[in-house]
Amino acid sequence: MQFNFGKWFGTRAISVIVAVLFCLLLDKVMQGPDKSYYRFLMSLAGIYVTLAVSLNLINGITGQFSIGHAAFYQIGAYTGAVLAANKFSHLAATKPLLWLFLAALFGAIAAGLAGLIVGLPSLRLKGDYLAVVTLGIGEIVTIIAKNQKSLGEAYGLSTAKIESVFLISLLAIVCIAVCRNLLKSAHGLAFLAVREDEVASAAMGVNLTRVKVTAFVLGSAFAGAAGALYAHTKAFVSPPDFSMDVSFLILTMVVLGGTGSITGTTIAAVVLFLIPEKMRDLPYVQMGTPLGVAIGIIVAVVLLRKIQESFHGSASERLGRNLGSVGIGIVVAFVMAKVLVMVPAFQSMINGALFRMPVLAVTLVVLMLLRPQGIFGHHEFSWSWVQKLLGKKSPETEVAA
Amino acid sequence: MSLLKLEQATIKFGGLVAVNSVSFELEKGDLFGLIGPNGAGKTTCFNIITGVYAPTSGKINFDGRDITGTPSNKIAQQGICRTFQNIRLFHSLSSLENVVVGGFLRHKTVLGSALCYLPSAIKETDELKAKAMELLELVDLADVANTRSRDLPYGKQRRLEIARALATQPKLLLLDEPAAGMNPQEKMELLQMVKKIRDVLGVTVLLIEHDMKFVMNLCERILVLDHGEEIAQGPPAEIRSNPKVIAAYLGEAV
Repeated sequence: MQFNFGKWFGTRAISVIVAVLFCLLLDKVMQGPDKSYYRFLMSLAGIYVTLAVSLNLINGITGQFSIGHAAFYQIGAYTGAVLAANKFSHLAATKPLLWLFLAALFGAIAAGLAGLIVGLPSLRLKGDYLAVVTLGIGEIVTIIAKNQKSLGEAYGLSTAKIESVFLISLLAIVCIAVCRNLLKSAHGLAFLAVREDEVASAAMGVNLTRVKVTAFVLGSAFAGAAGALYAHTKAFVSPPDFSMDVSFLILTMVVLGGTGSITGTTIAAVVLFLIPEKMRDLPYVQMGTPLGVAIGIIVAVVLLRKIQESFHGSASERLGRNLGSVGIGIVVAFVMAKVLVMVPAFQSMINGALFRMPVLAVTLVVLMLLRPQGIFGHHEFSWSWVQKLLGKKSPETEVAA
Repeated sequence: MSLLKLEQATIKFGGLVAVNSVSFELEKGDLFGLIGPNGAGKTTCFNIITGVYAPTSGKINFDGRDITGTPSNKIAQQGICRTFQNIRLFHSLSSLENVVVGGFLRHKTVLGSALCYLPSAIKETDELKAKAMELLELVDLADVANTRSRDLPYGKQRRLEIARALATQPKLLLLDEPAAGMNPQEKMELLQMVKKIRDVLGVTVLLIEHDMKFVMNLCERILVLDHGEEIAQGPPAEIRSNPKVIAAYLGEAV
């Protein structure tokens, strides 16, 4: 395949223009006082996409198991908040968009530096040991923020409110683009090689320390930029916003989407952020209903597992059986809910919104049982894949990306 | 001048002396065999040369430079590459991608241009892929270029490891039991391939192997280790009749 500069430039220019226009459009649609709730949701979704994709660079692509991503998110957020409240309060008031851009940049630099300082010694560790260290770092950063007077202690810090769906979605797109570009180049293969086998990649001349630290610093920097944008979206930062739960939520997004898959992580980030958010509106229900649903899920999972283990027919037959099992699960859920509600013990009312967090746990358990490699596995979205889906022949099958 | 020179290389793990003052020299273009019973210290020798372990004492010279205790990746850069006894491919990458990783250490573009998808990075990646494809053709794996290496049969995985090592453009190639688990037909093909690597690419080869027919046919000089110590060194004919080697490893002809 010959490299063609004109084609390259054209494709790049179009993608950049389309991305910027898309962000501007999103920003436009989300304007207006009546849409403040949706604007906030949209902003947070974009921030979570950035966080998840940047963690995917560390966990999924380079294979370094980090579970303290919220620490770098927090460092970025506090950097943005503190600078906006002190040094740059004038700029933040007069030119909010410019300041927001600078805040993201400062947040990225601060978090990237923190990532470098943390990464250099701790990335010598592997697997569980690295996980424990990163977990500890997450806690340390939160505790420091809780006890420093200048950082507002446990109460938190308030800062200028600057909302920009444009910058947030642009950051998410840049983060995705950087990861995608990395995977398209030989550099990315070196990152993947480190994930696959450290001894072999060192023997092939890959500098393990450099690759791991680069991934860690890049991932942290994106998290820091996301943090600075979050601080201004909410106009307030406090330690609980960056607790261990947040680290685990981000990690869940990466695992659920498929460790290493950018596409999967992005989709999982949006879905996993929206599920608990939307479930806030659930009404009070009788105890029997969620129990019935749980029984339905168990029935469906058991059937699906059975099919995975012992059915070896064609793909369409398999799909039919899978759909059938899901159907049976739904019917069982309905019937059991109706039946259980008749039992006096299960008639007490319970707030449906309480099930926000258990739903995440159940989703994860079901996924681990049915598809341990995540929804997308190691696969990525690509245009040739779309063409295949539409029944056309892909033009570049000989060089698989 | 010799290409690789071990001087009194010794490594101890606690009380165990795995390799005990082993010395040998490789000339450019040699086909050198390393044999000995299980646990004799052959793979440990490889690990010392490639920087997985630093020797407790002794010196290793490569191409006029002292490489004792240099980290693995730097040694690969200087031109020593190896395969592994228990195959260590990058299992979820395709064959082609495995070989590209091997060629990666000779790349020039910086990470920044790769992250921005600049033309220089794309061009270099394409070049690496083209070179990798040539190597796959050399080891007769071009038809499985896009297959995940995990899904390849055992013999092909072994050949892919050799291709990956060759992609680093080594001056010295270390093969750790390349013929293990292969059938006689595959062994013959491998023998031809190793000869081709030496003759066509001019790569010096040092190999560990248990199949005596394979070693005796291929190697021009052989070193025999037992309990970490050298017991014999010389051309195959000499080794075959050496009483010490027969006692320790080869056994009496029945």
